[in-house]
Amino acid sequence: MIGTVNRILLAVAGAVLLAAGVVLLTAVRPLGGRAAPLLSAADRRRYLHADGWWWWVLIAALVVCLLLALWWLLSQLKRARLRTVAVDTGDGAFAVLRGRALADAVAAEAGALDGVAGCRVVLHGRRGSPALRVAVELEPHAVPADTLAGLAGPVLTHARTSAGLAHLPAEARFKVTSHRARRVS
Amino acid sequence: MTARRFRSARRIPAALVALLVLAVAGLFLYDLAAVRADRPAMAWRRELAHRLEVHTPADPGVQLAGVALALAGVVLLLLAFTPGIRSILMMRSPGQDAGQDTGQDSGHEAGQDAVEASRPPLRAGIGRKDAAQVLRDRAMEVPGVRSARVRMGRSRVRVRATSHFRELDEVRADLDAVIAVGIEELGLVHPPRPRLRVRRRAD
Repeated sequence: MIGTVNRILLAVAGAVLLAAGVVLLTAVRPLGGRAAPLLSAADRRRYLHADGWWWWVLIAALVVCLLLALWWLLSQLKRARLRTVAVDTGDGAFAVLRGRALADAVAAEAGALDGVAGCRVVLHGRRGSPALRVAVELEPHAVPADTLAGLAGPVLTHARTSAGLAHLPAEARFKVTSHRARRVS
Repeated sequence: MTARRFRSARRIPAALVALLVLAVAGLFLYDLAAVRADRPAMAWRRELAHRLEVHTPADPGVQLAGVALALAGVVLLLLAFTPGIRSILMMRSPGQDAGQDTGQDSGHEAGQDAVEASRPPLRAGIGRKDAAQVLRDRAMEVPGVRSARVRMGRSRVRVRATSHFRELDEVRADLDAVIAVGIEELGLVHPPRPRLRVRRRAD
């Protein structure tokens, strides 16, 4: 979610900068050609004289930029964690499951898999459609593909059924505990 | 078959651009407000206005600024459209790899699709360094390999080993087989092609 917003705004900023650079290099329309000054005193007086309304347009645009930038900056600091999940109990009511409890349960089950040294799980997304992010630390001699199969099969299926969710998308990132090379001779 | 790659949230570039916009907009706003309140404009703005009057697009300084702006724009556009996180290799999701070697061209059957849909979609990746470490451990188990260094690229993996006994060709053949199995056990979407180099220990 925040990733999409970031990418759209970065693309807009990039497009604006690229356009400005190209305009400067080619000296086309807003500029008056290669020999004309970038912003002549006459132009400046035409738009920004004391009792015109261009001032107010400029000030309003700057305020909008300022607020947008402030919101954008602050939203980078938020961590997307889900506190609770709504569980459909099947009788027309909903139960509330703590996100931390679900994450801990998944971490415990994944940690019990063969070859897993450690596991951290975070629940994120929306209350109605949560998603899991799993960081798995493998022991040096684990087989990553097998561990992944174990994670996808029993562990996630169990999490999905126990939380009563039709879909529980998950992301897993594997690491290997660092150790020194051992020589077998 | 191709798992969608992890996409970086681009928090750091976003924060930097936001900070820059915030600073520039704040500075201009402060100065404009000061002028509207009948105070003198700050010196830098008069200086800027003077420069804009004097310089034309033909000046080398202006051209340089244009190039810099365009480059910055291209960098931001690249950041916006590339997935990033190049240090993680995507792994095949279980349930997609019924036939592991012929996964790409095996036809989708209706029954198989239903099974796939019922499984939780899982995207997984392994760090390049971590994959290299797994392969190095495998390489060290080959008899005759004294030391091994593995460099994992996105499409090829380079293994350099030194041997202290056995025939080099035998060690190479064993290493080749072990690395092939190791790559298969990583379960990557795009298995890298191995490139081996085995040498006698230099001493």
